[in-house]
Amino acid sequence: MSTLIDLRIAAVGDIHLGEDVRGQYRKKLEGIEDRADIFLLAGDLTRHGTLDEGKVVADELRGLTIPVVAVLGNHDYHSDLQYEIAAELRDAGVVVLDDDGAVVQCGEHKLGVVGGKGFGGGFAGKCASEFGEREIKNFVAHTRYIAEAWKVALKEIVADHRVVVSHYSPIKETLEGEPPEIYPFLGSYLLAEAVDTAGADLIVHGHAHKGSEKGMTPGGIRVRNVALPVLRRAYGIYCMGESEHF
Amino acid sequence: MEAPQYVAARVQQALAEDGRTHELGIRVDIRGDQLFLRGQVSGAEQRERLGQVAHEAAPELRVHNEIKVVDFSEPGEDEHLD
Ligand SMILES: [Fe+2]
Ligand SMILES: [Fe+2]
Repeated sequence: MSTLIDLRIAAVGDIHLGEDVRGQYRKKLEGIEDRADIFLLAGDLTRHGTLDEGKVVADELRGLTIPVVAVLGNHDYHSDLQYEIAAELRDAGVVVLDDDGAVVQCGEHKLGVVGGKGFGGGFAGKCASEFGEREIKNFVAHTRYIAEAWKVALKEIVADHRVVVSHYSPIKETLEGEPPEIYPFLGSYLLAEAVDTAGADLIVHGHAHKGSEKGMTPGGIRVRNVALPVLRRAYGIYCMGESEHF
Repeated sequence: MEAPQYVAARVQQALAEDGRTHELGIRVDIRGDQLFLRGQVSGAEQRERLGQVAHEAAPELRVHNEIKVVDFSEPGEDEHLD
C-alpha cells in the first residue's frame, strides 16, 4: 500500500446557476479545501448560457484556495456566448478546458486534466456514422474532432495522474435511467475510445441528469456521472493513490 | 382534434425552448383534458415557471404540476478508486 497521501478530486456537473440562486451554491462549497485537492466542473454551469449567469458562476467559484478546472456544457453554449463565459470564469481563476489539457499541481501530486464539452453520436453498434447528408456527417465529424483532440492532449501530458473532464458521456452505463431513445444525444463511444487509447485514471462527465453515477470504459477506466441531480450532493469526491510505488 | 401525443411533444418542446425555463428533463403526460408534469428541478421558482409555460402551450388543459424540488446535501463519503 502507498504511504503517500491520496489525491482527492472533487467533481460536479450541471449546477445550472442563475441570478435567483446567487450565493447558494457557494455556501455548499464551504470546507471543500479541506476535503479535496482539486475541484472539477463538468459543464452546464448556467441555465441559458447568458453572460449574467456566467458571471454568477464565476462569482460562486472565485477565491477558492484549491485549483478549479471546468469545461462548459450545451446549456452554456445556448446563447452563443461560450467564449465570453469562459473568459469570465478564467478571470475568476478557473482553468477552462476547451478540448485541451492542463497540468495542475495538487499538493504533492501533478495532475493532468484533459477535456472539453464532448458531444453526442451514440454508442458502438447503435450510433450515427459519417454517411449521407452533410448535417449527419457534420454531427459525427464534430465528435470525432473532439475525441482526436483529447487523445493528442492526453498523450502530450506528463503527470502523476490523468483525469478527463467532459460534459457528454463517453459510455452508456452512466446513462442508465435516461430513455434509451435519447442516448445518441447524451454521449458518444468515440470519447471513451480516445481516452482508452491514450490512457487516463478517471473520466468525469455530466449532462445525463437522470443517469447513474458509476460506470467503466471498455478499457477499464472508471467513469463517474457527476451531474448534480445524479449525485444529489454538492460534489462527489474521488480519491486515488500514488500511481507507481506500492 | 390534435392527438395527445403531439400536444405533449409540443409542451415538452416549449419547456425546453422557452427562455424562462430551458428545462430538458421534464416528463409530460396527457390524459383526457389533464396535463401532468413530472421531474426534478433545483428551485421552487423554476417549478412555477414550468407550470406557467406548460399552461401557455396548452391552455385548454388542466395542468397538474407534480415536479419535485430537490435540494442537494453536503458532500458525502469519499470514494477510493484503487
Ligand atoms: Fe445539464
Ligand atoms: Fe447538458
